[in-house]
Amino acid sequence: MHLLLVGISHRTAPVELRERVDFQARGLELTLRTLASRRPGGGSEVAVLSTCNRAELYAACDDVASAKAELVAFVGSFHDVDIATIEPHIYGVSDLEAARHLFRVAAGLESLVVGEPQILGQVKEAHHAARQAETSGPLLNRLFHSCFAVGKRVRAETGLGSGAVSVSYAAVALARKIFGNLEGRSVVVLGAGEMGKLTAQHMKSQGVRNVTIVSRTMAHAARTAEAIGGATAARWDDLDSALEAADIVIAATGAATPILTKAHIEAVMRPRRGRPLFIIDIAVPRDVEAAAGEVDQVFLYNIDDLQASVRENLARRASEVARAEAIVDEELEKFATWLRSRGVIPTVVALRQSFEAIRRAELDRLDFKLSTLPPEARDEARTRVDEITHLLIEKLLLTPTEQLKSIADPEVATAYAEAIARVFNLAEPTTEKEAETRPDNRVEPFSRAKSRPGPGRSR
Amino acid sequence: MNLVPLALYLVAFIAYGWHFARRTPPAGRTATTILVAAALAHTFIIGMQTMEAGQVPVGGAASASSMFAWLLAVAYLYTEVTTDERSMGVFILPLLIALQAIPALRSDPEVRSSVLRGWLFGLHVSSLLFAYASFALACVIGITYMLLFKEIKTKHLGVFYTRLPSLQVLDQMNQRAIVVGWVFLTIGLVAGVVFAVQAQMSLEDPKIFVALVCWAVYSFELFAARRIGWAGRKAAYLSALGFAIVLLNFVPISYLTTSHKF
Repeated sequence: MHLLLVGISHRTAPVELRERVDFQARGLELTLRTLASRRPGGGSEVAVLSTCNRAELYAACDDVASAKAELVAFVGSFHDVDIATIEPHIYGVSDLEAARHLFRVAAGLESLVVGEPQILGQVKEAHHAARQAETSGPLLNRLFHSCFAVGKRVRAETGLGSGAVSVSYAAVALARKIFGNLEGRSVVVLGAGEMGKLTAQHMKSQGVRNVTIVSRTMAHAARTAEAIGGATAARWDDLDSALEAADIVIAATGAATPILTKAHIEAVMRPRRGRPLFIIDIAVPRDVEAAAGEVDQVFLYNIDDLQASVRENLARRASEVARAEAIVDEELEKFATWLRSRGVIPTVVALRQSFEAIRRAELDRLDFKLSTLPPEARDEARTRVDEITHLLIEKLLLTPTEQLKSIADPEVATAYAEAIARVFNLAEPTTEKEAETRPDNRVEPFSRAKSRPGPGRSR
Repeated sequence: MNLVPLALYLVAFIAYGWHFARRTPPAGRTATTILVAAALAHTFIIGMQTMEAGQVPVGGAASASSMFAWLLAVAYLYTEVTTDERSMGVFILPLLIALQAIPALRSDPEVRSSVLRGWLFGLHVSSLLFAYASFALACVIGITYMLLFKEIKTKHLGVFYTRLPSLQVLDQMNQRAIVVGWVFLTIGLVAGVVFAVQAQMSLEDPKIFVALVCWAVYSFELFAARRIGWAGRKAAYLSALGFAIVLLNFVPISYLTTSHKF
């Protein structure tokens, strides 16, 4: 069984094409069911990861080449896009490379903005949808759980997702560092323009209580206040009282010269009794005199300062990439070990089935020897013989099973599997999936033999 | 004996430094575990000394310093557990190490005085030590406030910006520590005066004078924060100044003057 990934992303395809290949819009369940019913490459496991920056199909299949062709054809036909148009933008990788790709996606390493936090949730949704549609099996379940572990570790152990990477987030992050919780804080916006409005809206979504718009034209202020929703407008004459009550000031007027001077700010700060004031000057040319930032308890940031902070954060994230990649490598190694151990499973299953068949046959054949016993003793003897023989087989098979599963080189594993099949004259096992999911089977290739408590068992 | 907690505090300091630098959860857990171990070892030693002497060992400068370090460690661990905020540990531990170095390197002369028994004396010393531990926390919080304040003010967002809680939270923590410290300082001073009068001891003592200066500084800080808006940076400065005076009372005055040793 192989793992295959076919997809397009912001790295390989322009937005016009990505828009057309949007599985989310067509409904994930429909996509998954349609895809699974086609059994690409002879497999039955599929999952779809669809975000605004990527559309990826993950499949477990027997034949990689045919599965890949089928998946590409599916993408084209499902979205009614000419295959010749889309094929150059599609990437397809298999097995460990496919796993590595998903791990990197979950870590945020493949994102447009490295380390952005939403992607892990989207990957979880993709897995959830596949489980809901019952198109996810042992291989994809393991793959996705491993990638969740990668995402969690990268968040906990590296700074890949830390620091604001847009100007308005940087402003909010700073405000949080000064005021803690933004709930109940007051924001004053100077100017009724678009920039001020957007920043105020962002602050409002972060829990700010009062937003006051101050503009030279009252009508403009009122219109912007209405657009923000729940904001109030104030006249320019009331600027000082608005500033006195404010915690955060967003200056965004089109004035040619500074409207807030150092002396002005000093006068405003006096009655505030040391309450900090955070001034965000996003106007160009600037609205606030740079010297105003020297006033005690005043924090003044202009658009360049915020952009510098964003640049620094991006650089810091970039410096964390290596640590995140090391985590991807570690988890990939674990996944690879698991994947390799699966190669010998059919042999292990067949071996156990063969031993079990012999045991059953012999028990049936020799059952007549117990018939001389009195009825009640006979039942107990049967139970005990059954248990002892079962235990014996478990013990005999334990070491070979562990040895087989520990073989790292797939070629060596194949050679061993062939040798064992020849020596024990093994038939093809019951299908892998069946053997794994059948609830009451005694063929447990992954677990050590457990002692089974039962009636009549002494000691 | 006092070397064991000292060594553990040193190891904990390294662990907190590691956590501060790397910010990984295992590093944080390791640091806390080591500090808890250090505090337990310290508890054991103070307990042994109490049993040996039949009273809480606070009758000399070295043992009082050990008690002070222990109270500070416990108070810090309490704030860490309640706020899940470990970044302050790297600032607290040097203080713990300095305080614990005194009893570890030098022990008190054997003084067995019947005067130094009784509940009033116990109240006096333990209230003051608890007050000083609170002031120590306030001082460290104040210093971190100033470091973070400076980073935000000068727009060099770096080490402290990414690791410390917000200015508002630091200011609140500082105020709380000052209030608690001030209450215990007042209780301790009153108990001390009553005790001294009862035992007919002289009140002309540099230690008492400095303690009164401390009380004045912290009273002013409380008043200033509420009435004239001296919160934030100025409160942080005052916390550092107040604690510098506390330390002055602790180390040089205890060893260099004829003041009382407890």
